[in-house]
Amino acid sequence: MYYISIKKEDWHRSLEKLLTSHDIFVPVKDEFSLDYEPFRLSQAENIAYNTPKPATPLKNFFLPVRENVTSAMNNGRPRIIIGAPNCDVEALGLLDEIYLDEAFTDPFYRNRRKSTILVSSDCFSVNNHCHCTSYGVKPYTMEGADMALLSEGDYIFLKVISDKGEELARQLSSAAGVNDPESLLFADQRHEKTEALLAELNRGLPDYQATGEIIRRAGDHIWVKYASKCVSCGACTTICPTCSCFLLIDKPDFKKVKQMDACQYPGFERVAGGEDALFELPHRFRNRYMCKYVWRPQKFNSLACTGCGRCIEACIGKINKNELFMELT
Amino acid sequence: MMILMASDTVNIYKPLRATLGEVIEESPLIRTFVLIPDEKFVFKTGQFIELAVDGVGEAPFTPSSSPLVTDRLEVTVMKTGYVTGIMHELKPGAVMGIRGPYGRGYPVSEFKGKEVLILGGGCGLAPIRSLLFALEHMKDDLEKVILCYGSKTPADCIYKPLFSRLNSIDKFEAYRTVDVTDDDWDGPVGVATALLDQIKVKIENSVAVVCGPPIMMKFGTIRLLEMGYRDEQIYLSMEKNMSCGLGKCGHCMMGEFFVCKDGPVFTYREIKHNPEIWK
Ligand code: SF4
Ligand code: SF4
Ligand code: FES
Repeated sequence: MYYISIKKEDWHRSLEKLLTSHDIFVPVKDEFSLDYEPFRLSQAENIAYNTPKPATPLKNFFLPVRENVTSAMNNGRPRIIIGAPNCDVEALGLLDEIYLDEAFTDPFYRNRRKSTILVSSDCFSVNNHCHCTSYGVKPYTMEGADMALLSEGDYIFLKVISDKGEELARQLSSAAGVNDPESLLFADQRHEKTEALLAELNRGLPDYQATGEIIRRAGDHIWVKYASKCVSCGACTTICPTCSCFLLIDKPDFKKVKQMDACQYPGFERVAGGEDALFELPHRFRNRYMCKYVWRPQKFNSLACTGCGRCIEACIGKINKNELFMELT
Repeated sequence: MMILMASDTVNIYKPLRATLGEVIEESPLIRTFVLIPDEKFVFKTGQFIELAVDGVGEAPFTPSSSPLVTDRLEVTVMKTGYVTGIMHELKPGAVMGIRGPYGRGYPVSEFKGKEVLILGGGCGLAPIRSLLFALEHMKDDLEKVILCYGSKTPADCIYKPLFSRLNSIDKFEAYRTVDVTDDDWDGPVGVATALLDQIKVKIENSVAVVCGPPIMMKFGTIRLLEMGYRDEQIYLSMEKNMSCGLGKCGHCMMGEFFVCKDGPVFTYREIKHNPEIWK
């Protein structure tokens, strides 16, 4: 791992050049939201680096909402995705465990992972519901992405993490290696500041493991209470960077369409005979919590909740999972 | 340089085509489909497949035929919903799609030297028939095979000739019961679990296989434990809403397990910590 730096305008000009061979996405801020958009040089001043967090979870780049999975493999153009926060990078860990599983590798997911260069961006501020550090996730990237970006003044600093990142670094002709440790002091300061903000914001919130214990022991009344405001819209799962359940739909000529699905929708576990273990709303509601904090942790090495806070922002019932945890603590 | 791996060319979502041969009417609601796959199809008994009606949908089934036969397979389908309803209308010659085989079947080689007790109910007889074929093939290595099976009514019991045939095989014993009797029935009435009272089995050298509706699995397991079976001697075949079969889609989750991949056959020991199993 090493750092390079490049003047912001040169960085944007390099990206412009890379557009001939790559699709490039950057986080763009407008008056309503922050989200990924295709890179355009003319819009470069609206790119919001180091700001949490794009509305779209990173998973959407790898698991489209709907796709034909019996079609010929689309080897598409290589992509550069810039600006993913570390909570989203961390979330790819679980998706990789599931979709790159050796016994059954999903060829579509694998191709997209292979053809994507991921440039994450360290968080220099926090949003209302950010709580990554409570679950042991740093607000900056050390692994899992190909590069991590830090914007400081007129310069972009890039932490080169992987071989793919190195390849991209080689194509940035006006970038230079950073040899003076002093010039990186700002990074540590930024990281410390963000971590302090997160600690302050989430004081008393149980860590990931403790949350699992709490959830496992939670009585029915908790689920009935919180589920009473849930309308099963599935927004919490749709927006979650680690939720990746899907439905296979049959189309004529033995085509199969894979469509994102969620345990929060009625009928998710209904079997042909009619039994449905998740028929009751409180059970269904509890399932998401059990999955994230109890079951997936028993089965996988990666986190099933990286503390991005999107589910809290997205819920039209204003259900805040962290309030539920605090109530049980 | 990129090395092309087998997995680079395999599409895990693509079905294999199979032509429907004979359709056997087992009962008004149950039919057995004989399928001739385009390629040799190898499975282990207890594994399942996803069977698709073109353009309509697919559903999980455990083949009811012998795992030793690879040029055709049989799937017994009860009409329970939309997809199975359309399956029942299919005529020989129809082309269907097969994905699989998926999951972990019965570890039959571990049954060597043992007495195998099989407790079955309702539609559970389909996978059990496949298991019985496998056990028959290795009967020289087994001490005994006992089948206790219960159906709702005498007419609901499919593969009727199976019982007389089993009873004529050396080392095999088969018992039947029904919940509700009719004029022609002179056998026992009651749940399958009650048949366990009349059998002789050396529990310490035995394994028990339970396959049937959830309620039977639960009470069957409780009874076996009372009889002295240890948790690891009891094999349960779990039924869940299987969809992808690949350990990805999440529809078959039972606690931390993907039933499609970690199961569908589990020992009771593996899953007993999980209160979700009887749901
Ligand atoms: S459960 Fe909520 S906070 Fe956790 S990763 Fe998913 S959307 Fe983010
Ligand atoms: S976003 Fe809120 S209302 Fe919608 S399914 Fe999730 S918890 Fe329920
Ligand atoms: S059936 Fe899809 S994960 Fe098991």
